[in-house]
Amino acid sequence: MSDATTRDELAAEHALGVLEGEDAARADALMEQDPAFAAAVTEWRVRLSDLDAIADRAAPSGDLWGRIESGLAATPAKPESSPASVEAATAHVLPFRSAGAARPSIWQSLPAWRAATGFAAAAAVVLAVGAAYFADKAARTPTLVAVLLEEGSAQPAAVVNAFADGRTELVPLRAIAAPPGRALEIWTLWDRAVGPKSVGLIGEARATRLDLSKLPKPGPNQLFEITVEPASGSPTGRPTGPILMKGLTATAL
Amino acid sequence: MSMPAEHTLDAPVDLAAELARCAAGERDALRRIYDAEGARMIGVALRIVGRRAVAEEVVHDAFLQIWQKAAGFAPERGHARSWLYAIVRHRALNVLRVETRTDLVEDFEPMGLTSAEEDAEAIVSRLSEASALRRCLERLDPTRRSLIVLAYVHGLTHGELAGRLRVPLGTMKSWMRRSLSSLRECLP
Repeated sequence: MSDATTRDELAAEHALGVLEGEDAARADALMEQDPAFAAAVTEWRVRLSDLDAIADRAAPSGDLWGRIESGLAATPAKPESSPASVEAATAHVLPFRSAGAARPSIWQSLPAWRAATGFAAAAAVVLAVGAAYFADKAARTPTLVAVLLEEGSAQPAAVVNAFADGRTELVPLRAIAAPPGRALEIWTLWDRAVGPKSVGLIGEARATRLDLSKLPKPGPNQLFEITVEPASGSPTGRPTGPILMKGLTATAL
Repeated sequence: MSMPAEHTLDAPVDLAAELARCAAGERDALRRIYDAEGARMIGVALRIVGRRAVAEEVVHDAFLQIWQKAAGFAPERGHARSWLYAIVRHRALNVLRVETRTDLVEDFEPMGLTSAEEDAEAIVSRLSEASALRRCLERLDPTRRSLIVLAYVHGLTHGELAGRLRVPLGTMKSWMRRSLSSLRECLP
């Protein structure tokens, strides 16, 4: 099977929306890095677009436009210089970025809060796993734990532990490597007025100390996530690549 | 509000031109896109997330994305409509897969082969007779046709389709690839 064939197959599946987990992350990354792939996805979207046109129209209830307009007030339209960013817009609509200073929508969004609840529930389940991990480290009990769930599969992929003395660590639960020439960047968000801050950059998922020394002490419901970024880290200081995993902190009992 | 756009070719609003105006900071242009496509976008999101309130949140989030990314739309590549709907679908799929999955799974009725096919046939029958996509979908056998249609319209994954049609995941992936390949050969 030729590379071109494989690429077109992946493009078709991405446009169709059936990819999950690693395949979805790979497609999202290719959308940004491979113009031929992005073009193939666009072609497939056009081929399938008649299926959009037959959807029943559903008149918005309430003041949907009013809420969009309020969101715009905090969301300046900004020029996008990179051609790849066209596709990036469709490649991944990131809740994390939405939560940035200029993007209040996620915090007013029902699904987002439902998601937060879901993460909390998942965190409760996986706290059992966390408890096992710490059984032999009773002396160092974290005050906060965040379980990062893999995008797409929603499977636990890593745990962030914050300790009373301010140390914060990332412990992976599965092997995840950055694509060649890329790195995994770890972010946290505690205040949307401040926006996400980078707290670590790694080549592969491994236990690592996170640098929160310049940040306020972590609190409950603080978001941690890992994105794929250039090897030297995000050029903008904000997440730019696809999210691999994310989760909210919960207080450890 | 302008006339409802019933089909891509009849759209009264030049979406590419409105996107260019959005990029220049004209909010009225975004409003015109909303008036022309917002209700349809809610419909597209609803088919995926299954709940009205959630579908509206998807469209809300999508419009903020559209506003922010409008300058990145390349008009020479055309396809403003599919660019817009890709944003809506991607947001809806993200909500479905990541944010509300556990809720929605409980709502799913187990579906057998027949009902999946009937569901897909009803959708295909709504496509215009003139649609090349319809003509090419109708060349596929009913099961293969239903895979493509249900994946796109309801956001079902390989795994979910395999469950519904009661075939192994690998079989499903291979069916999907062959179906897409057949479509690729048929479509312009």
